[in-house]
Amino acid sequence: MTESLVVLDRVVKRFGTFTAVREANLTIEQGEFIAIMGPSGCGKTTTLRMLAGLEEPSEGEIRIGGKRMNAVPPHERDTPMVWQSLALFPFLNARENVEFGLKMRGVDAPERKRRALEWLERLEIGQFAERNIETLSGGQKQRVALARSLITEPQLLLLDEPLSALDAHLVIRMQSVLTRLQRELGITFVYVTHSQSEAFAMADRVVIMAQGEIAQVGKPRDIYRAPANRFVAEFVGRNNILSGRIAGADAGFVQVETPVGTLTVQADGTPPAVGTEASFVVAADMVHIDRAPDGAANSVQASLISEEFVGSVVTLFLEADDGTEFKVQLQERALAALEPRTGDVFHLSWKAEDAHLLPGAAI
Amino acid sequence: MSRLNAYALTWRLPIIIWQILFFLGPLLFMIAMSFFLVKNYRMIEAFEFKNWDKMLSRGYVWDSYWLTLGMAALSTAIASLVAFPAAFFLAFKSSENLRRWAIFLLIIPFFTSYLVRTFSWYVILAESGVINALIGNIGLGPYTMLNTKFGTIVGYLTLTLPLVVILQTVSLANVDKTLIQAAQNLGCSPWRTIRAVIIPAAKAGLIVAALFCFILSFGDFVAPYYLGGSKPPTLPILIIDTTKSGQQWPRAAVVAVMMMVTLFTIAFASIILAYRKRASK
Repeated sequence: MTESLVVLDRVVKRFGTFTAVREANLTIEQGEFIAIMGPSGCGKTTTLRMLAGLEEPSEGEIRIGGKRMNAVPPHERDTPMVWQSLALFPFLNARENVEFGLKMRGVDAPERKRRALEWLERLEIGQFAERNIETLSGGQKQRVALARSLITEPQLLLLDEPLSALDAHLVIRMQSVLTRLQRELGITFVYVTHSQSEAFAMADRVVIMAQGEIAQVGKPRDIYRAPANRFVAEFVGRNNILSGRIAGADAGFVQVETPVGTLTVQADGTPPAVGTEASFVVAADMVHIDRAPDGAANSVQASLISEEFVGSVVTLFLEADDGTEFKVQLQERALAALEPRTGDVFHLSWKAEDAHLLPGAAI
Repeated sequence: MSRLNAYALTWRLPIIIWQILFFLGPLLFMIAMSFFLVKNYRMIEAFEFKNWDKMLSRGYVWDSYWLTLGMAALSTAIASLVAFPAAFFLAFKSSENLRRWAIFLLIIPFFTSYLVRTFSWYVILAESGVINALIGNIGLGPYTMLNTKFGTIVGYLTLTLPLVVILQTVSLANVDKTLIQAAQNLGCSPWRTIRAVIIPAAKAGLIVAALFCFILSFGDFVAPYYLGGSKPPTLPILIIDTTKSGQQWPRAAVVAVMMMVTLFTIAFASIILAYRKRASK
């Protein structure tokens, strides 16, 4: 059996007394689009830099294509990176920037030029080939940076928040460019971002990092629906997190006694023992909101505090009598029928299958 | 609009007045003086090309000119090359703290007069000086180092090297480190980044450093006079000699104008080269 393209084996990275990455284990397959996501300082960029050889792991091993890479200097790897700042060479024009990698590999000038122009064409900026970098727009520079890192036809492309400097509409545009390229080329993308929308929109698998540790690895949908722990639940999307004591268990479900009542929660695997503390999560868009109780098993009364509009999606913030906060997400047109006013009392309900128990004790 | 302009003008006025009084005025007077005549050791206002004819047709003037140009260029080349490794180390390999100290120490030579520093080379370079005494111990020398071109270059470097190191360090330290990492990420070895990335990225600062070195060397009187033996004379020495021989201020002015034109041309060309943007088609 051949090994995965990239293997991180208990990788630790320390800077002085600060541990940036602790015991990271991760395998990345050929042709995968992986997004590493997390808040600032979670170790995601350090992990990427270790893949590029710009940092050396303090412990553990990094293998790329089966070869131990720990001490291989950056220029002897084929792990090009698209930088957050783009890092285009200002003293070279667009085409010369793209040619750089080939020049370093000793490809002769006419061949370099031909291939650079091909790539610029492919990324639809062929007409800007001889332009000074500073005269290009943000989106055009982005494409030059992409062409520059792809021209050596690597197996692995590293991307460090490449879209963070772009306008919102350009981000969507570049996302489609990136996913299309990745599929056409069949190479592996490792994409570092703090943006959930970018990660979830593009990646096959998402790696969530927190304080130097990998908190969860999984398909975007799985991470969203079944976060592995409280951190992920809070970091990803709009989740309601409730804590309480296990009151009973039967057939894949457990009853959790919470301050807002006893609620039924789906429990995958072995349910925790009766009497132990537990937390569970309900995604905000899985909560049904109504003025009258709908007779569902999991129902809570709460009053409206505030609303937040993002496009056509509205998030309502509510509070139960004991102070527990709830978030409910719904479409703007569903809101019109509800006519909510601050202070109104609503009935919130959800299906037991949409509530997921978080592993470990309640935090 | 006028209020803002009046405010801006108030602050600009002192430097404008200063430049007119002490730079532009004397320069124009010097150019005018190059057309004056000297009779019976007295200058007479005139507009004649005699001085220009005389000076430009003399072989020794041109000998001095090319010597000065060549020596200044050599000093610039040596200073730039010698300074680069030091500046490179300070910009990329040293700690922030060491860099601050180094720049402070490089400023210290400017505390003492350049003339004093030049004289101290006497002790070191003389026939019976420190260097010859040292290498005499292993049976070498003595070498004549004073009153040679070598002496002149040593003097020029005394004046310019600390400044060139400082200017190069500052310009190298300002190179975006991400560009260097990006180059290595694309297969560029650390050695090659110097030529492929660092020098192009720091080009403007490196050229300005070299330009300063050239200007200071080209116009220096002390080094060629005291360490170079002034034979053949460089242009600044020629100016002094000309004024001394028969009060020929107008002829000295011709030499001075030649120097100014040369410096203007070289400075202008350097600045264009330093800040030239790549043509965008």
